[in-house]
Amino acid sequence: MKRLLAMTVALVLPLSLAACGTKGGAETNTGSADGVQTGVGVTDSQITLGVMADLSGPFKSLSTAITHGNELWVKDLNASGGVCGRQVKLEIVDHGYKAETAKTLYPQLEPKVLGFVQLTGSPIMAALGKDIETDKVTTTPASWSSELLGNPYVMIVGTTYDVEMIDGLSYLQKQGLLKDGDAVGHIYVDGEYGANGLRGSKYYAEQHNLKLSEVKITSTDTDLTNVVTGLKGKGVKAILLTTTPKQTGSAAAASKALGLNVPILGNNPSFDPALLQSPAASALNKLYIVASSVPYSADIPKAKEIAQKYQAAGYKEPPNAGVPYGYAVAEVWGSVLRKACDNKDLTRDGIHKAMQQTTSADTEGLVAALNFGSPGAPATRQVYVAQPDASVPGGTKYVQQLFEADQAKTYKAPHEQ
Amino acid sequence: MSRLAWIPVGIVLLLLPLYLEAPWLKAGQYMMIGAVGAIGLTLLTGQAGQLSLAHGFFLLVGATSYTVLAGPKGDHLGLGLDPLISLVGAVAISALAGMAFAPVAGRVRGIYLGVASLSLVFLGLYLGQAAESLTGGTSTGRDPATFKLFGFPFSNEGDLVVAGVPIRGTERIWYLFLALLALAYWLARGAVRTRIGRAWRAVRDNEAAAAAMGVDVRRTKASVFAVSSAYAGLAGVMTVLWFDILKPDESEYGTYGVNTSIAFLAMVIIGGLGSVGGAVIGALVVFGLPQVLTLYSTDLGWFTGSVTPVLVSSFVYGAAIVLVVLFEPGGLAAVGPRVKHRIRELRS
Repeated sequence: MKRLLAMTVALVLPLSLAACGTKGGAETNTGSADGVQTGVGVTDSQITLGVMADLSGPFKSLSTAITHGNELWVKDLNASGGVCGRQVKLEIVDHGYKAETAKTLYPQLEPKVLGFVQLTGSPIMAALGKDIETDKVTTTPASWSSELLGNPYVMIVGTTYDVEMIDGLSYLQKQGLLKDGDAVGHIYVDGEYGANGLRGSKYYAEQHNLKLSEVKITSTDTDLTNVVTGLKGKGVKAILLTTTPKQTGSAAAASKALGLNVPILGNNPSFDPALLQSPAASALNKLYIVASSVPYSADIPKAKEIAQKYQAAGYKEPPNAGVPYGYAVAEVWGSVLRKACDNKDLTRDGIHKAMQQTTSADTEGLVAALNFGSPGAPATRQVYVAQPDASVPGGTKYVQQLFEADQAKTYKAPHEQ
Repeated sequence: MSRLAWIPVGIVLLLLPLYLEAPWLKAGQYMMIGAVGAIGLTLLTGQAGQLSLAHGFFLLVGATSYTVLAGPKGDHLGLGLDPLISLVGAVAISALAGMAFAPVAGRVRGIYLGVASLSLVFLGLYLGQAAESLTGGTSTGRDPATFKLFGFPFSNEGDLVVAGVPIRGTERIWYLFLALLALAYWLARGAVRTRIGRAWRAVRDNEAAAAAMGVDVRRTKASVFAVSSAYAGLAGVMTVLWFDILKPDESEYGTYGVNTSIAFLAMVIIGGLGSVGGAVIGALVVFGLPQVLTLYSTDLGWFTGSVTPVLVSSFVYGAAIVLVVLFEPGGLAAVGPRVKHRIRELRS
């Protein structure tokens, strides 16, 4: 009896499954009423863009701010009639900085979107890199490593860490804070971020005979006193940081306490305005920050406008530099979409082609002018140099407006052709 | 479960790729990775009573070994071996790595062994970053070779259509993982039911008594570490095939980090210490829940704002551990027999 029952179940279950019908095949590109070729993520009335954000993990505050920046732009764009006669919609998912979650979410999201406006997290970018290339989805990672540019579908808005370092070192030298043959120390966190910053300082050191001491740390180290002491012993004339903001605070404090008194040069992510409220605040006067995008309360009309809109939108999270950056990225996407619309091709291939034709994306000063025309090369090599200043809103003041060093012009990024 | 009951389960699992879309298959594959690793840990911790937090490290050993053995010669060290041989080799290397830990395992026990094994995770973190020619380094990582079985690639290459469904990379990997899981399960059940398993349990319950009965305690401990590491190594190979990249962790929390070791321990506890079937169920809860919850919630638009599925699922599996320890120390594996027993009682 029991055996018979089991046999019946064994036969009926698969059969009932078979009766449901199997899954269908893939969809193909089609033309639409207005003569524009469309494909995945695009209908006659809507363009869907994807956001893979970290809304619950370690980069929650930055990624949430970028997402809000993206949303503000979509609101503005749709209010002004959209693009190509279509409204833009964002599909936002949270992966919590977990590569395994992102890897499963990707096949769910990918068939719905034309491209990714945001993809946060270097482990996530690494896990999805191949998929993005296979599916030809143009993607903007919230990471600025030039190593990523080996993937033709990656669109980095802003300059890369290596170029930031080169520009920054050139600035120090122009100011007379550094000369050829000096010893410098570079503290960097292991990983995509640190390795890319180091690439830049190595290049500059070769050109100018700097004696470069490299110190590799991990992202969880908090006390850099011993590292800075070691660099003092080597007689460094400047300290370079490709680190987390906390580590920047520790290095600056240690440098001051040891009486080292040399300039400290940091990549964009190495500074956070919160440092000005930390015990290290008084030691930050020697810190120079290099970045290609503006801080939240930058003194330019567009940034002020976005700050106003952010307040008006009633978001609970305190804003940071992610907001104008997120807006700027979306704005660049807007230029690409318009270009693709002019080409009458809103397919993924069309977007990729439009991106390569976008040689002067303008974000009204939020980010330096961008040129995506040469594959593998950073879209800009221009940076601002800023110094921490608690007296101004946003915590930094510019000491150097957008510029590009000669050494940065000649520098060849790892995947540049 | 009676042997016959496996037939429908097997048929359903074989047919699923024809019905499920890619994200669900991806999630299912991830659960299978967890199941293979958890079976290994339940043998070590449940059957032989050796607490280990080193599972993440052995995952990394297996992942790296496969990538190096099967990898092409190029920027990184690669031997260019056949992927199947590389898979077997990676499992063997992981077993040897586990055996190398035996001198430590033979000397300390309980929580001390747990802490000692934890050091391996940190060793793995350092080696993963330092040995760039093997792992590719944290900056870029390294692409693993596509798995091939006698020339048949487990990728999107070539056209294969079954019942109108194109069998592409995701579907093929499903069948590969299913076969590996079935093999892992069958071998573990075999070991538990025979002399080997009895020796493990004897060592767990009383080392002196085990020795008196003729069980070589040190050898048994070394061998169970080797077996468990081999399972973890296989899970590691599956991990690189699933991710399509080998990328060592940038901090101690990551694919091969402390959090992974603890997740495996959670699977084993939720499933019921020592139960092979329980380990599989534990993997469904711990590795499956976050994935399924995330997929469902984005489909249905649940959880908006700061309460995200990733957050909810970590609460759920935390709660599951507490509930299991409080109310059913035998784990989920003990729930079935208990229900059966209750039904029989009611009948009589």
